[in-house]
Amino acid sequence: MRIAVLVTYVPDTASTIKVGPSGKAIDEAGIKWIISPYDEFAVEEAIKLKESKGAEVTYITYGPERDQQVLRECFARGGDKGVHVVGTGAAFGDAFAIAQILTAAVKKAGPFDLIFAGVKGVGSDQGLVGAMVAELLDIPHVASVTKIEYGEAGITAWREIEGGQEVVEVSLPCVITAQKGLNEPRYPSLKGIMAAKKMPVESVKVADLGLDEAALGGATCRWVSLALPPAKSAGKIIHGEQDPQAAARELARLLREEAKVI
Amino acid sequence: MAYQVDMRDVKFQLFEWLPTEKLLQTERFSQWAKGDLEMVLEEAYKLAAEVLAPTNKEGDRVGARFVDGKVVMPPSFREAYQKLCEGGWISCINSPEFGGMGLPEVVGTAINEFFFGANISLALTALLSRGAGYLIEKFGSDEMRKLFVEKMYSGQWGGTMCLTEPQAGSDVGASKTRAVKQENGRYLISGEKIFITSGDQDLTENIIHLVLARTPGAPAGTAGLSLFVVPKIRVNADGSLGQPNDVQTAGIEHKLGIHGSPTCSLVFGPNNACEGFLLGEELQGMKLMFHMMNPARIEVGLQGEALASAALQEAWQYAKVRLQGRHWTRLKDHDAPQVPIIEHPDVRRMLFTSYAYVQAMRALLMQTSYYIDMTRVTEGEEQERYQSYVEVLTPICKAWASDWGFRVTEWCLQVFGGYGYTQEYPAEQYLRDAKIASIYEGTNGIQALDLVARKLPAKNGKPIRELLGQAEATFKKLRNDPQFMEPAWMLGAALKQIEDISKGLTKRPDAVMVVLLNSVPFLDMIGDVLGAHFLLEQAALAREKLWALCQEAGVERKDEGAYKQFLADNADAAFYHNKVHAAIHFAYRVLPNVTARAVAIRAGEMGPMEAVL
Repeated sequence: MRIAVLVTYVPDTASTIKVGPSGKAIDEAGIKWIISPYDEFAVEEAIKLKESKGAEVTYITYGPERDQQVLRECFARGGDKGVHVVGTGAAFGDAFAIAQILTAAVKKAGPFDLIFAGVKGVGSDQGLVGAMVAELLDIPHVASVTKIEYGEAGITAWREIEGGQEVVEVSLPCVITAQKGLNEPRYPSLKGIMAAKKMPVESVKVADLGLDEAALGGATCRWVSLALPPAKSAGKIIHGEQDPQAAARELARLLREEAKVI
Repeated sequence: MAYQVDMRDVKFQLFEWLPTEKLLQTERFSQWAKGDLEMVLEEAYKLAAEVLAPTNKEGDRVGARFVDGKVVMPPSFREAYQKLCEGGWISCINSPEFGGMGLPEVVGTAINEFFFGANISLALTALLSRGAGYLIEKFGSDEMRKLFVEKMYSGQWGGTMCLTEPQAGSDVGASKTRAVKQENGRYLISGEKIFITSGDQDLTENIIHLVLARTPGAPAGTAGLSLFVVPKIRVNADGSLGQPNDVQTAGIEHKLGIHGSPTCSLVFGPNNACEGFLLGEELQGMKLMFHMMNPARIEVGLQGEALASAALQEAWQYAKVRLQGRHWTRLKDHDAPQVPIIEHPDVRRMLFTSYAYVQAMRALLMQTSYYIDMTRVTEGEEQERYQSYVEVLTPICKAWASDWGFRVTEWCLQVFGGYGYTQEYPAEQYLRDAKIASIYEGTNGIQALDLVARKLPAKNGKPIRELLGQAEATFKKLRNDPQFMEPAWMLGAALKQIEDISKGLTKRPDAVMVVLLNSVPFLDMIGDVLGAHFLLEQAALAREKLWALCQEAGVERKDEGAYKQFLADNADAAFYHNKVHAAIHFAYRVLPNVTARAVAIRAGEMGPMEAVL
């Protein structure tokens, strides 16, 4: 079995995000980059499958030079090969452009029986790329998967839907996007970290895939502006030590008249 | 709140201050590149914060329990310990021949800071496994090494060091445990040991005790002690487990802190069937044991620093969100809003003094670890020189970092006010857990005696002269620097005090008593001077980098508003800026104490000896 895992490097969720001078992208100075947390479930699922049933796992990422590190971080957990599509930045943040580039990379490195991706990249949080890749490859996909059973001909996947779960049987090849709960991602071992740097990474340019990055970027989606959410205003404290009944009345009034929740 | 560490400082000390990258060019460490080490640090920190730290509270509240003659560890420790083992973290610095990962010691020190800071009780089990394993690797027969070392380095089997007996604590030479040689070359061990960390636990399938015992006819004192490998469960020739080895756990201590770490009383041979293997030769026990004790002493100093560092991060986070009182610029304005307590000068003082001490302790421990690495990549005289530095610095690491580490946990508790005294916040656990570090592995009083009686006079005082010579070089380098001039001169003056006392003390007729009475303050004086030297050296480096950042960004440092804004926007710049101020703060607040203590020592104040106690 051949498995591809689409991974992306994102700002650490603990980083302080600032809007960059262009107003359309974040300021990358001082940002610590991590594997997108949902991609970690995808990586874990692929490695588990490799361990239990035998498979070759290829990680594929698209991004600037520094993103080769995301492949190393994946290798520290397991896996066999890496493909880094080095980008110039033109298509970053444009889900459809990214999906086209990744699809081309998947075709070049493929064929694959299974493609895993995180349900979304923590960053732009659009949750589009996995499904788009499936459409472009013209294969089925199941999004937001929290449990998988592997059968003889295909797989059964449990996915989250509003207020419940949907169980989907799907044939291979297909794309699965991983949601929290699918598994418990492992921590890399020291041996894994040491082995990671020796793993083979193929570095390709977008042009090598027969695509024009500049033309793709912004063709269907443009970032107009970015802004931080407004600062949370200070909470209101109603002091009730002296007269708890009056305080309760005041609370009820504020909930009704100001917050308008009752 | 969760376990946090100042990773920026860890990386500064490792890669910007110390020439760790040079180590990687040596054959011994050539398999590691800087990028790998950064990944190792990040992953170790993640493991500490996400796996070890969440079990720390349960370790304290539930604690290790003694049930039906056996120790039951806090339930959550099992999985966390398993993850430590699986990742190969326990023996990250040990020899690859036996499954260790061969990382430089200085990187291991950083990693172990995270583990101790996140959960000292659990990390102690790991410390003892690798420590005891190392001793067997170094002095065991080939057969013993094959049987034990790899399983101890992987954490599959635990380890202990059994020295103390009820009548033999600091006076280890008073040990009575006996070892009688049998016809098959093995020894029958009988006796009682107390205060044995991880003496029994249910995290590992076997425990390999290293036991100091006396052979028949051996001389009195430490010279009569031999060292034995005593498995809890006997090990067959093929490495599989055999019958229990007649080691009984009599109970565990109920302690102030480290509740998750079982401190056991062990009875060896209650049925006269406890088998041990001699490690090295008879009567060499104490000498061999020091090969485990010396690294362990540095690691105990590291525990003081690690808990201080963890306590500081918690207090810092808390001070940013806890609203109390008005801003000091609006004290009389009753309509002014409450501000986070981090705005209050006194809270800032407690936090920043803690900050400076933590960085000074980290520097001392990392510098010493770096010297350990250097002993492994050099030969001949150079190697001897580094070894002599390690020997002098070991008691200082142990005592200075554990004493000040504990005090930092106290200041950090104070930041929390009344809440710090409750179990609602972790400050009180850090304080309780940290206290043991000044006691076990040779009390700090013993460390100070080791320093003044053994380490300082070694090689006619050359090693300590060279180490203090480095501090003097810092003084000379910065004494004309407008910003660091005063701190540098304070360092120079403190150095002079140490020199005067060293020269003058031994000439006094009451030298022995004065030395014994003042060894602890004298160790402290040296620790303070080294701490100030490290911080000033780092500050000078940080300032260069800060100025370069300002220049790069076109920020005029004299333009106060622009500079402040730059510090707010640029985390690196703020870090370097703080580093500069930490060194100055430490010099002003700590170095005068060196002089103050020197006054008392020179005066020969003898109150404690004169008093009727």
